[in-house]
Amino acid sequence: MNILNRILIIMIGCLLSNMALAKDLTVGLKSEPSSIDPHYHNLGPNNSLSAHIFDTLVGSNENQQHYPNLAVTWKPINDTTWEFKLRKGVKWHDGSDFTADDVVFTSKRAANVPKSPSGFGTYLKGKTFVKIDSHTIHIKTEKPYPLMPNDLSTVKIISKKYGEGASTSDYNSGKAAIGTGPYKFVEWVPGDKIVLKANPNYHGALKGKPAFNKVLFKPIKTGPARIAALLAGDVDLIDSVPPLDVARLKKNASLTLTSGPSNRVIYIHLDQFRENSPYIKAIGGGEIKNPLMDVRIRKAISLAINRDAMVAKVMEGIALKAGQLLPAGFHGVSPNMKPDPYDTKAAKKLMADAGYGNGFEMTIHGPNDRYINDAKIVEALAQMLSRIGIKTKVETMPKSVYFKRASAGGPNKSPEFSFMLLGWGAGSGEASSPLRALLHTYDKSIGMGRANRGRHSDPAVDKIIQQALSTVNADARGKLLAEATEIAVGKNYGVIPIHYQMNTWAAKSSLSYQPRTDEYTLVMGISNN
Amino acid sequence: MLNTDSNSKNINVFMYKFWSDFSESKVAVISLLILIAIVLIAIFAPLISLSDPYDLSKVSIMDSRLPPMAKNFAGDIFILGTDGAGRDMLSAIFYGLRVSLGVGVMSAIFALIIGTIFGISAAFFGGKYETFIMRIVDIQLSFPSILMALIILAAFGKGIEKTIIALVLVQWAYYARTARAAALVERSKEYVEAAQCLALGNKKIMFNHILPNCMPSLIVVGTLQTAHAISLEATLSFLGLGLPITEPSLGLLIGNGFQYMHTGDFWISIFPGVALLITIVSINLVGDQLRDMYNPRLKK
Repeated sequence: MNILNRILIIMIGCLLSNMALAKDLTVGLKSEPSSIDPHYHNLGPNNSLSAHIFDTLVGSNENQQHYPNLAVTWKPINDTTWEFKLRKGVKWHDGSDFTADDVVFTSKRAANVPKSPSGFGTYLKGKTFVKIDSHTIHIKTEKPYPLMPNDLSTVKIISKKYGEGASTSDYNSGKAAIGTGPYKFVEWVPGDKIVLKANPNYHGALKGKPAFNKVLFKPIKTGPARIAALLAGDVDLIDSVPPLDVARLKKNASLTLTSGPSNRVIYIHLDQFRENSPYIKAIGGGEIKNPLMDVRIRKAISLAINRDAMVAKVMEGIALKAGQLLPAGFHGVSPNMKPDPYDTKAAKKLMADAGYGNGFEMTIHGPNDRYINDAKIVEALAQMLSRIGIKTKVETMPKSVYFKRASAGGPNKSPEFSFMLLGWGAGSGEASSPLRALLHTYDKSIGMGRANRGRHSDPAVDKIIQQALSTVNADARGKLLAEATEIAVGKNYGVIPIHYQMNTWAAKSSLSYQPRTDEYTLVMGISNN
Repeated sequence: MLNTDSNSKNINVFMYKFWSDFSESKVAVISLLILIAIVLIAIFAPLISLSDPYDLSKVSIMDSRLPPMAKNFAGDIFILGTDGAGRDMLSAIFYGLRVSLGVGVMSAIFALIIGTIFGISAAFFGGKYETFIMRIVDIQLSFPSILMALIILAAFGKGIEKTIIALVLVQWAYYARTARAAALVERSKEYVEAAQCLALGNKKIMFNHILPNCMPSLIVVGTLQTAHAISLEATLSFLGLGLPITEPSLGLLIGNGFQYMHTGDFWISIFPGVALLITIVSINLVGDQLRDMYNPRLKK
């Protein structure tokens, strides 16, 4: 009897511990965040992770539509003031109350993190936060500013009590990583794991109470290794499934794959500011006037790109052809624009009309570890451009080197390359994001065109973008943004879009992941099948 | 006239002797024939290839990853299939051999020249100079060669010339050590003393008298190190360093195909791998036979 009893107890014990384990989750991530500090680096992996620990005032769901998060309502009360009503009864992870003081504190800290490689200053510039009462905030701007909710959907609110005087390393160690989000920070071992545990007092704005007791994020850089870990059961969910493997994994009954379009367009920047572009030469190597200044050449290049082949052959069908800056469904997208057709004849004619019938020599630059299949895209582009007489060389490099040179590798910190592959994710979920960053004339003083590496400049486009940015009515703003896109991309070919990236997540069959356009991997988006 | 006659006769005698020694091993003869075939393929690649895999206007992404013997819409046949960018694998392998052999042989020759100069001069002059050179060699040989090459390429960047420089810097030490060992033996022989008595210049003694007698062992090392240089270049390319992606060498072809291994598109990696294997094995077998020929202990 005694022995039987003991066995029974052990069995029950095992059962219980198994049940506890079943509520744990391990996620394999392609890219590890560079910090736990939510304001240190405005980077996808960082924003994705910190969304578990911290909340924003305005939430952004899987399609980047807004929902009430720490703020329950927001509205402009006059031309230059927005009123935000804060959620009542929200507790920080340490049990103290969340109030307007924390929001005001955040607005000061988020833009001024020391040594931040790229912070949240863009979203906070020119905004004054005023506390009205413990749960009301007024935000004042100089001019009407309709994008207030979009901007504030990117900034995570931190606790004043812990954030005052806290450095980035205080967040990384967990000392200051006290948020209001569904999960609490436990520990981060860089290169190995990030551990979170459920916050039982979560206010529940995003999918209610946390579904898992303990969450473990493991960075697994290479695609095959990530897939192997999932197949072996070491992780329950992985992000960034390589397109090449999607078809094979879909056949596997023990996995659930979900794919969705992202807000990221893969496109080309073309040098439009140098009479002599460093990576463009006449056939044979002589100096030549920069042909990319001529809109006919830019159009010819767009017509020379076989986007169907790019999607089918390079992206394995896991991408969408692009004719503008965001896929249909986002705000400010033009209903009239279609991806350019593949027409080498018309392209060659345009080249001849522009006086480059014999072609020219050009080097394409691109990263080889940033976007899905980036090096292969560049190689395919080189083939396609060679067909219309542009003798093309290819140079790819790791992102750590590439972005520095692409943005400021030339003389006087100008962009170094002549023709380069890049991607842009519209963080605010609106066409205004790529328009003002990529196509507005480069002007550091007003924070416009900050990623305009081809230095495209058209005063007409600038005017419409500026007008859109101060138009409060959403429909009217959408129309203006669409108009700006039609001119800047459709007529000027200021940048040449290729495709919209699609992302694929794979989970074990008992779980499934709701794809997100912002490419974040959020534990809150996992549901049980 | 008479002199040249006897010279050519001497060479004929030497060649006859060489060939009768070399042909003792059937395996070595077969390897040599294969190697000659490979070299001919590499040299005449542009003439015998069905298409130019480096001409981007002739390569189409629409033809990517076709299996062996497949035809595309235009009716072109791809005997070994195509790779992820739509290159004909057979032509890509021919051109890849050209790059791999070219890089291997060029770097072996440069490393041989540099290593021999330092090695023989170290043996000849001795003293602090010798200690200095040989300690550098020792230090260099204590690092794994792949690590050295990776560091050098990371510092210099990509490109064929840079790959050759990296390989030369990695490999000269092997030649220096061999040349010094051989020259040390020769240095104490009478003919060197005789030459010194005639007050010949140091340079002349080193390179006209000592060097020819060191050649056999240098040739052996040179052959084997060429194979090593080729595999090292392939490793670097496989890792994505070295050559540009639009002009793949064998290592880069294997590396490109590696990602398709799980999907069943085996030919992209396997065929260049086989080509690399055959090349390296045949060079090594020829090198082994040369070594046995010049090894006095094995002389009957």
